[in-house]
Amino acid sequence: MAIKQYIKVEDREHLPLEHESRNNRRNYSGLCEQLSSEEVTERRWAIRDLSGYPESAPDLLKLLESNPCLAEREALFDSLQLIGGETVIKGALQLLHSEYAGLRNGAIEILQSKPDMTGEHIEELLTDSDSDIRIFAIDILQKLPHEKTPEWLIGVIKYDKHINVLASAVDRLAEVGTKEMIPELEGLKQKFNEESYLCFAIDLAITRIQGD
Amino acid sequence: MLQTAVQKNSQDIHEITDGEFELFRDFFYRKTGIKFENSKHYFVDKRIVERINKTGKRDFRTYFTFVRFQKSGEELQQLINSMTVNETYFYREEYQFQCLTESVLNEVVKNSRGVDKPLRIWSVPSSTGEEPYSIAIYLIENWPMIDSIDVEILASDIDSKVLDKCNKGVYSERSVQNLPKRVLKKYFTKKVDGSYQICNDLRGAITFSKVNLSDSVHSKKIRGIDIVFCRNLLIYFDDESRRQAAEVFFDALNPGGFIFLGHSESMSRISPLFKVKKFPRAIVYQKPM
Repeated sequence: MAIKQYIKVEDREHLPLEHESRNNRRNYSGLCEQLSSEEVTERRWAIRDLSGYPESAPDLLKLLESNPCLAEREALFDSLQLIGGETVIKGALQLLHSEYAGLRNGAIEILQSKPDMTGEHIEELLTDSDSDIRIFAIDILQKLPHEKTPEWLIGVIKYDKHINVLASAVDRLAEVGTKEMIPELEGLKQKFNEESYLCFAIDLAITRIQGD
Repeated sequence: MLQTAVQKNSQDIHEITDGEFELFRDFFYRKTGIKFENSKHYFVDKRIVERINKTGKRDFRTYFTFVRFQKSGEELQQLINSMTVNETYFYREEYQFQCLTESVLNEVVKNSRGVDKPLRIWSVPSSTGEEPYSIAIYLIENWPMIDSIDVEILASDIDSKVLDKCNKGVYSERSVQNLPKRVLKKYFTKKVDGSYQICNDLRGAITFSKVNLSDSVHSKKIRGIDIVFCRNLLIYFDDESRRQAAEVFFDALNPGGFIFLGHSESMSRISPLFKVKKFPRAIVYQKPM
């Protein structure tokens, strides 16, 4: 039988691990230096270790803006999510404007994971002049555990005029809407009665809300 | 219309309509990756109605809104617990072990190592040991290269009590019922109380250790792994913890290494770090080379 004992975890420090960068300095300044290492693995370790230093948030956000490789990007989002706080939220809001879908999606996930802090910014996002940002705001609401979500969505269908924004809001209302909101949806259908897709989405949402 | 009605008391009846079932099904799928077919309507309804009654909500909508917007996610976790079967036994989801010995191991050997380095498999969570022992037995029984390549199996769990059980290696008849009789006879001894004691060779071959995947300092020490088995664990994690676990696995695995998840779990929904690899027997996730 060639199944052998794995070396115990507590003894692993004694192993000569190949490509192991753990001998690097793990204090704050050492880790910041390693962010510009040429080795992706070393940069990843530094990024992950910096999750214990909230003051590193601006540096980590700056790294994200340079659209790093996937392995690095995921570690950055993970660390930023752990750090949290207003700096991270503001950085994530800024990333919604990025031209890279991976960065926008990561930013949306961070925002969804911090419902209270994100909630304070939802209204400004929903009234942004850029319809894409308004749609991202509705995407954030899809998984945001915040009790004001239905109210925000109703605000969108009352005041927004962009068909894609409205359709996104109607889709979300299908899940979180209540029977009291049905007249608003019917009103929207009347207003856009020539937009067949929107009418279809509204009918579906009403059926869902009625629970039939 | 198919409806379920469960009577709580003479005044209080809860009903889950088809529409509500679909609403819940979509939400639950998005949160957990578990999709219920129509045939599971009754199974799902029964559990939702139980939770509605337990939480004192007046109807499905009120309960659904409660689950949907609860910041702590506690009620969603309760639902997940009630919708999933937390049971382990030898050779559970055997097709994955077949995939391991017929495809994955050969690819690991071909891609990255040759035969001179030991091959490392990490089973996490090990629970009471059925999975890591199953892997060991399956390799010995079904993978011809086991005679020429050393394999190290690390089995980890957050719960030290279950690790004690792993080390003892004593299992109930129910736990071993899926094992072929020949295998049972070869690796186990039946005790007078009807339980089964696994042989000492296997007990000594696997290393059990306490690991908390959310403790980055601890989990970072696990490196150089070729294959991870992490089945039916991530379903119990929230989104943030799932992402962290994916990072841990990414760093623990060698380039080209593989992860097996439970049949209802999908790494693609958690992290883009891994590639989906379809083998004839199963879908596995691979760290890029």
